[in-house]
Order: sequence, then structure tokens, then C-alpha cells
Amino acid sequence: MKGYASLVKPYILWMSLFIVVPMLLIVLYAFTEHGNALMAFRFTLDNFMRFFDPVFIKVLFKSLEVAIITTVLCIIIGYPIAYIISNTSERTQTLLILLITLPMWINMLVRTYAWISILSDGGILNSIFEFFGLAPIKMMYTDFAVMLGMVYNFLPFMIISIYTVLAKLDRALIHASHDLGANPIQTFLRIVLPLSMPGVISGITLVFLPAVSTFVIPKFLGGGQYMLIGNLIENQFITVGEWNFGSAISLIMAVIIMGSMILTRKIDRDASDTASVEGGKLW
Amino acid sequence: MRKLIEFQNIVKSFNDSLVLKGINLSIHENEFVTLLGPSGCGKTTLLRILGGFISQNEGHVYFDDIEISNVPPYKREINTVFQRYALFPHMNVFDNVAFGLRIKKQDKNTIEQKVKKMLKLVNLEGYEDRPVTLLSGGQQQRVAIARALVNEPMVLLLDEPLGALDLKLRKEMQIELKKIQQEVGITFIYVTHDQEEALTMSDTIVVMNAGEIQQIGTPTDIYNEPENRFVADFIGESNILEGVMLEDYKVKFDDQVFECIDYGFEDNLEVDIVLRPEDIDIVPIEMGRIKGVIKSSLFKGVHFEVVVETPYREWIIHTTDKVEVDKEVGLHFFPEDIHIMYKMGTY
Amino acid sequence: MVGLKKHNFTKFFILIGVLSFFYLPILSLMIFSFNDSRSLTSWSGFSLQWYQALFENREMMTAITTTITIALVSTFVATVMGTLAAIGISKSRRLIKELVLSVNNFPILNPEIVTAIGLMLLYSSLNIEKGFMTMLLAHIIFSTPYVILSVLPRLRRLDPDIAEAALDLGATPLQALWKVIVPMITPGIISGALIAFTMSFDDFVISYFVSGNGVKNISILVYTMSKRINPTINALSTILVVIITIVLLVVNLYPYITKKEIKEAE
Repeated sequence: MKGYASLVKPYILWMSLFIVVPMLLIVLYAFTEHGNALMAFRFTLDNFMRFFDPVFIKVLFKSLEVAIITTVLCIIIGYPIAYIISNTSERTQTLLILLITLPMWINMLVRTYAWISILSDGGILNSIFEFFGLAPIKMMYTDFAVMLGMVYNFLPFMIISIYTVLAKLDRALIHASHDLGANPIQTFLRIVLPLSMPGVISGITLVFLPAVSTFVIPKFLGGGQYMLIGNLIENQFITVGEWNFGSAISLIMAVIIMGSMILTRKIDRDASDTASVEGGKLW
Repeated sequence: MRKLIEFQNIVKSFNDSLVLKGINLSIHENEFVTLLGPSGCGKTTLLRILGGFISQNEGHVYFDDIEISNVPPYKREINTVFQRYALFPHMNVFDNVAFGLRIKKQDKNTIEQKVKKMLKLVNLEGYEDRPVTLLSGGQQQRVAIARALVNEPMVLLLDEPLGALDLKLRKEMQIELKKIQQEVGITFIYVTHDQEEALTMSDTIVVMNAGEIQQIGTPTDIYNEPENRFVADFIGESNILEGVMLEDYKVKFDDQVFECIDYGFEDNLEVDIVLRPEDIDIVPIEMGRIKGVIKSSLFKGVHFEVVVETPYREWIIHTTDKVEVDKEVGLHFFPEDIHIMYKMGTY
Repeated sequence: MVGLKKHNFTKFFILIGVLSFFYLPILSLMIFSFNDSRSLTSWSGFSLQWYQALFENREMMTAITTTITIALVSTFVATVMGTLAAIGISKSRRLIKELVLSVNNFPILNPEIVTAIGLMLLYSSLNIEKGFMTMLLAHIIFSTPYVILSVLPRLRRLDPDIAEAALDLGATPLQALWKVIVPMITPGIISGALIAFTMSFDDFVISYFVSGNGVKNISILVYTMSKRINPTINALSTILVVIITIVLLVVNLYPYITKKEIKEAE
């Protein structure tokens, strides 16, 4: 029914105004001189030049470092969990997946906030240490706390995305591999792991993207002085009011994220070029 | 021929339902054995027990006189062609076929030679670099066979391997499979529910139903001498009737006594009787041993399928002659066409 | 399979470990909502005072109302708009389809903070004063793409002749839409609406940048209160956790229960 195709028109208008225009505004602000007044633009690259200050570059690298470590930790912890879940009975799988997704429905700020009372100097963990006669450890406002908060928040995404692929994996392939003489470890390395890469890749996307741009977790668990790129952007817009600079930083971040996503996908494709031919059909 | 595999009293149940009720079966070297039966009869379960993918609740499996029940599948000298092929989708044809050899750490040249030779055997030369997911069903099937055979197993298990192919391709593959089996000279254990497939390829057919073996025999045995009503009914079309064995060589059905060639039954034992449709001739009414009226005649390509009604039953008859519907005719058959079977559960 | 049984204990241990990691913080949060003192770390006795404080706290009650109102309204608008747009997209030419979908993916693939500042810049360029309405509009904007993505697969599976069959039988295009197409894609619409609702209910980043004039949802309130933490947040969170758990249990167990009934009826 071609008549229904016209239903898309209002949405195209809506999208242009509320999705495309805002993106263009960020670009516009990033490349123009200050002044929040409309219609007084002057092209400049200053906002980008300003970012190449060692202070800001350090923040950028810190953000990337934290996000990459978080992503790697999520793979290392999430993969075995997803693997174990996919090997349980169907009923247990449903239950475990429900249990793992349930915390995701609770407000992210609330969940992060809950860690404060556990990690703080007089907090639950240190009380336990004290009970066993151990010296208290400073955990709040450290890299450890920030990464813990990130892993806590984003691990479920990794588990679910790997699990989804593993659960769909044809058991006959594993049988076939055993049948051809591969022991369980060889089977895992040669069959299960390569075939579950799409799940890992989408997990990386789901973890890395929010991890590199979050400003709530570092603020709560890293303290006011802890600066990641998300905090930097927030400051420019909320505290300092330097919208042009803030837009430039956002643009740089968006480009880096897009670049790393393309890179990840490319690495995956190169690693298994035959699989990617049919990748779409398989998953 | 040497005995290679022996199943002893295999019992298997899934969630309280008994799938195999004590299977005893010997399979020999170089034999093409078909496990034949309707779906749910336990044939695939038996195959999977042999492959090592599931374990039986009771009983023993011997391979070359060694009990293998606790040997994991990857240590068994058995390879399988899976129902839906189970080709590794992230590998091309060559890598799929080479998989088992690489696991065994054979050197590169040997692997290359063996894979090439095997692809030639299954008519897939030049397909080495194709992704398996882009092959047709028949080609995937061949890759699966090559992937299993390249390991030079002593036994090849085939789990309804032709089920996913269309009729014409299925027929071609039947002939080809038999040819391959004769060429490599190893034992094939083939699972199917298709009686025609079984009759075409096998040396030995094992007819199974409801977790029990009904009959073991050559295709001709199974077809001509079915041991019971189930086998007669499952293999080919049949007229199956009930009768009484009066004494040796004398059977009574439809209130008439007929001469037959079977003996050794108890006198006056109730039996089942098979008459194959192609063994009955339609003759002029005065020459017939049984008289009836032609109800219908359907052209089936090679023959007509004729239904003749008598006061007792409807007979199915295959004939190449065209007959007139509603005509009164006689039916004729020879003593050797009557096949007497014990009733199920009485032998 | 052979040899797996001895690993079961290790597996069980790992699962318990990860589940404790997920649930211990939530559990401690809930426990200390009943604490007699202001402390979030040392227990001094059972009390419901923080629940009382919560219901007496005007700011909190307003935030809760705001959150729920915005979630309900934005879900409704986004679901209707997203469903219609998805139907339009599915019937469009390939080029338009791909173009619309790639723009549609922007808010999903972009970090939230980028969407947030984009909208903030838009509002300020248009001289719209930030407040309740801007927050509501923003929520509709970011949740509609999710509705579209969840309805589209259903439409793809729809028989292309189905609408024509309805028209052929005398239905007007509107009737065909409402009586034939919509019922067949209802599962997609429902899951889209659920995603939209939770996205809106939990949203912080976008709301934070596009609201002003003291309009706060629960997330913004938690964020601004983080400096002067007190257990009313715990009390609020406990109530949310309990509600969400009940809803999820009902939603997930419902198929089991109805399936059982159908089986029994047979």
C-alpha cells in the first residue's frame, strides 16, 4: 500500500528539526566564536586549538584509558558469565537473565549512589576490613571506585549481548567439532569463540560508548576533582558557560567514538573474513 | 566380516518417556546399515549414543570389543554427518574439511593433499575457498560428508542426511553415497524414515518402532519376508489381513482355505497375512480365486493402482493393464505370494 | 556431556559471585532506608522515619510526579508517532528508508550527552525557555527512534498484501490501518512503548541539560542531592525497586501462567 508511505513525511520534518538541526548546531558552535546570541557567527578553529592544551589532552587520554579498561574488564568478567548461563537449562537461563537485567531497570544514579556507602572511608567494606583487623583502605575518589562503578553499570550490557549470540549458537556445531576430534578447549577456541565475536563486538559498543562519555559515575565515585571528558563537557555547558568550546569537545569525542567503532568492526571483519560474508544471515 | 560395533541391551529415557527399550544389535565391518523407522522410534537416539553425544541409562556399547560408553565423542574413531550438516559457518569449504586433520596436528602438505582428494571424491573440486554458507543444500551435504570422511573413520554415522534436499537431488545423492561407501570401504550407519532410501542403499536394514527393533535383514528379506504387521505396513504398500494357520502349508482367510509355502506355525494359530499389491493379478472372473468388483483405478506413472472390493475387504493391486471400473473380476495369486507372519507380541 | 559435572560447583560459585556484585549495593541501599539514624553505613535501629520524611518532602514528591507525568505522556506520544513513522518507513522507497533510518539511529548511537547539548543549543537558539515542556519534548525526541526500531521488524514480517486485502474487502485506508495492520504489529508497539517508558523514567543526562526553572525529575534530584546525602533517597529507591521488581515479575511470569492455563484448558 503505497498510500501509507506518506506517513513518513511528518516524521522526516520532525527528525530534521529535532535530530539534524541540533547536530548542525553543535558543529556550528564548535566552529564559531563565542557569543550565545544567534546570527553573530564568526568562523574560527580556536575552540579546537584550545583543546590541544596538555591539561585537556590528559583528560581525553584519561577518559579513553578508563573506558578501555572498563570495556576489557567487562569482557573478561562478562564472557565466562554469559558462557555459563548459555549452558544451563532453558528455565535457568530465563531466570538468570531476568536477575541480571533487573538491576538495569533501577535508576543508574541510584545504583551508583549505593556504592558510596559501601566504598566510603567509614563504609561497609572498610567496616568489614576493620572487623577482621585489617587497615582501612581509601577507595572512594580513586580510579578503582570509578571503574568499579562503570563495570557495575555496564557489565549487564556485555553479558546480555554475548549471551544472546551464545544462546543462538547451534549445539550441532559443538557436537560436530567434538565428533571431528576437538576436545572441549579446542572446540571453544576454534568454534565457540570466533562465532560469538559479533556478541563481543556489540558488547564493546554498548560498554565503551557510555563509559567514555559518562559524567555521573566519575562525579559520584571520583569526586569533584575527578575529570573525564564527560565532566569537561558538562562543566563547559553548566558551570562555565563556554558553549563553543563545549561543542568542540563534544565533536572531538563523537569523532573518536565513531572512529573506534569503525575500527573495532574492521578488526572483527579482518579476523574472520569468511564469517562476515554471511554474518548478517547468521545473527 | 568382522563384528565392529555391538549394542547390548541399550535403554534410554528422556523425562520419564522410554525412547529405547533394550536394543541389541551388532554391526559389521564394511557394512551399510540403515536404521529405519517412523519419527520418534529411537533411531536417532541410538545413533547419538554411538556418536557419544548422549549416554544411555542402561546397557553397553562395544567398539572393536572395547566398551566405549565413557569415551568422549572426540576420542571415538567415528565421524558423523549431521542432519542439518552443522558446517562451521565462519570457515570456508577447505577449512571445514581440514578441521579434523588440523586438530590431529597433521602437517600442512598432508592436509592439503587429503582435503583435495576428498573434495574430488564428493565432486567439489575447486570449491576450496567458497564460504560454506553460500553453498546449495546438496553442496553443503557433500562438504559435510567430506569433512567426516577425511578423518578416515572406521564408521561413518549419517543422521537423515538427505532430509533437507529435494526429491531429485535426494535420488542422486542416494546413488552417490552408496558409491562413496563402496569406494572408501568403511561401515556406514544411516538413519532415515524413508523406506525407499533404505531399500536402495543398505546391506542391512534395521527396522525400529517405539524404541524396539522390529526386524533386521537385507532389503529383500525385509520387503519379501516382513516379520510382522508393522514392518509389512511400513515397507511398501501391502494388503495386510488376518487369518488362521490351519496346519503347515494351509492358511484360511476370507472364509477360504489357501495353499501357501509357510510352515512351522502352531495349528489353528491366528496370524497376519501379507499380499503385496504387485503379486496379485486381475484375471477374468471365472479364473480368479477371489471375486470382486473394481472400485477405482488410478494411473501412477508406471502402473495403475486398482482397488477391488470383495465382500470382506478392499484389495490394492498394482497392474500395468488398464481395467474398467465397476467390472466384476477375479483375483489370482500363487502360494508363494502369500506371506504369513506371527501377530505382533506373540512371537 | 562428559566431565562437566565436576565443574558445576565452580560455575555456581561464579554465578553467585556476580549476582552478589549486582545485588549487594541495592540490598544495602534498601536496608539503610530503614535506619534509625542519618548514617548510611552504621546501623542504629529500625525506623520508618525516612519514608515519612520522603512523603513530607515537597521537592521529592514533585520530582516523582514530574517523572511519572513525563514518562507517561512522552511514551504515549512517542509510541503513536513512532508507530505511524515506522509504517510510513516500511512502505517508502529504499533510498528514503535508508536515509530516514540512518538519521533515526543518530540519537541511539550518539552518546547521550551529545544529544543533550544538541537539544540545549536548539532550545536556546529558538529562545525557548527551559522547563517542563522542554523536558517533555526532549523525552519524546529521544524515545521515538527506539519505538521505530522495535516496530519495524514486525512490519517487515507482515504480508505485504494484507493491507490491500483489507482495502479490497471495503475497508478505508484508516480502517485497514487500525483494524488490520496495528493489531498485527502490537507486540512490537508494546515493546517499543516499554522501552520508551523506561528510557524516559530513568533518564538523567538529557533531562539535566534541557530542563530549568527548578523542574526536576527523580534523577536530577538524586544528582543535585548527592552533596547532601540522606536516607530519603534510599527510601525512594527502595520503593522504586519494589515496584519495578513486582512489575517485572508479573510481566515475566504472566506468559508462564497463561500458558499453563491454556494447557489445562486443552
